[in-house]
Amino acid sequence: MRKASSIGAGWRVLVQVFLLMLVVASILPLYNVIAASFKSADEFVANPFFPPRVPIADNYAYAAINGRLLHYAVNSLILVPLGLLVYLAVCTSAGYAFGKMRFRLRLPLFLVVLFLLIFPQLLLATQVFKLTSLLHLTNTGAGVILAWAAYFSPFGTYIMTTYFTDMPYELVEAARMDGASHFRIFASVMAPLAGPMIATVAIIGFQSMWNELPFSLLILQNQGSRTLTLGIAMMRGEFGLRVPILSAAVVIAMTVPLVMFLIFQRRVTLGVTAGAIKG
Amino acid sequence: MRNRGLEGDGIAPYIFLAPLLVLLAAFILYPVIMNLVASFTEWKGYGAMKWIGLANYKSMLADQAFWTSIRNTAILVCYIPLSVAITVFVSALLREGIRGWQAYRAILYIPNLLGLVIIGVIFSIYLRDDGPINLALRWAGGPTLRFLVSPWLAINSVAVIKVIWIHLGFGLIYFLAAMNGIDPAVYEAAIIDGAGFFQTLWRVTVPSIRFAIEFWVVFNFIEVFARMFSLIYTLTQGGPGYATFTLEYGIFIQGFTKFRVGYSSAWSTVLFLICAVISVAQIRLMRRSSV
Repeated sequence: MRKASSIGAGWRVLVQVFLLMLVVASILPLYNVIAASFKSADEFVANPFFPPRVPIADNYAYAAINGRLLHYAVNSLILVPLGLLVYLAVCTSAGYAFGKMRFRLRLPLFLVVLFLLIFPQLLLATQVFKLTSLLHLTNTGAGVILAWAAYFSPFGTYIMTTYFTDMPYELVEAARMDGASHFRIFASVMAPLAGPMIATVAIIGFQSMWNELPFSLLILQNQGSRTLTLGIAMMRGEFGLRVPILSAAVVIAMTVPLVMFLIFQRRVTLGVTAGAIKG
Repeated sequence: MRNRGLEGDGIAPYIFLAPLLVLLAAFILYPVIMNLVASFTEWKGYGAMKWIGLANYKSMLADQAFWTSIRNTAILVCYIPLSVAITVFVSALLREGIRGWQAYRAILYIPNLLGLVIIGVIFSIYLRDDGPINLALRWAGGPTLRFLVSPWLAINSVAVIKVIWIHLGFGLIYFLAAMNGIDPAVYEAAIIDGAGFFQTLWRVTVPSIRFAIEFWVVFNFIEVFARMFSLIYTLTQGGPGYATFTLEYGIFIQGFTKFRVGYSSAWSTVLFLICAVISVAQIRLMRRSSV
């Protein structure tokens, strides 16, 4: 049985039309870039809107090889998971401390973390760049991994803290009675219990790092060490690059986040509501 | 149960927190403080800093790019009420159990997955003078809209893309979850009283999700002040002229293409102060939500 509704049957048709229009507005730019990616340069000029009459894959080959996107994708697929590992380790252990341990500076330190949650990357970029060059981390994976983990950690810590706070304290108390140290409780009881939330934080973190631009732009200045996102951003500025090739590049870059979404759709939805804010 | 007091866990918590604190100190706290110091100096980002007092701030206040950036951000802010209205309205529609509402929610979320770089590049193609939209307009006998060439259209395009087009799907998930928490009996009572859709929306839904709306407004402020760079960098590169400069973009141009890091740090101070206010507003909301 349908739940009670204040919209009459006639209006529902109109609502459907309206919602379909929103869908078209959301999808059309994506459709267009996908269509363009299969067109030859000549066809794109003659037919920029409709599906390609003679679909070609040349643009993909050019973007992947000559445009080095394949190389950049490999870079991203190495850097992002490593960054995620650091990020999750940092956020989970800090979240446990804030959520389940007692210490004098708990509230002040947690407020500092919340305060640092929103600062824009460009506010930090100059000094982050200086710091990485001071530590000889410019053009290295380690530099960008640390910068990512640091920048996104307040968000992950906030989520993990609220999660651990809501867990029953008796779990900790009982294990303490048995003489277990906090490190054991964390490693063998709490972290495993937090698995689903860690997965959610991981997916949000993955998206954030995969799509990150400013820090990679400044830290990874060697062309060979670019991430996929950085590679696309730099391609955009290349003079005289043909639209179909750029489109193919964009489609290549889109696939990973889209596939992630299809697999983890429910968890992504959870993440939005868990955070109420986006990292 | 024995009360172990505030210092119950001794040194252990600080060991758990150490990685976080070190990273935050090095990559966020130290940069913020050093920016403030650098804003009083003439500095290229390397070499010696030369103390010049308030000179950077004086040149900033005389800099047209700075005031354009402020104006542009104000334009972006003007779209926030619109975003609230549209997002709450569409969420309320989907809440009514419209056929396929879950599919709509999922499809409209897609722009949030792509990342600002990809979106910026897509729209840089899409909104060109000879791009698909203008082609469609020409077929319909309309004018050519120079989205990325006319200064006024450029900043408004950026605003619509970010605040409306991208955020809609994110807001739907968020508001639908909030509306899910409303007691269905309230809606049934409203229907029995003969309340129409808009009356129910205004009298029942909106008051019940006031808190979520406040969060949504703060979230939008954060995005507008602190999360615009990647989109602007790939869509308009701040142009035409300064037409799509924001504080973030100005800091980038001054600091990294003109190497006036001392000067860009003065911009950073302004951005920092604004973000600090937004951050405090957000913390107050968060603390209210966890009570």
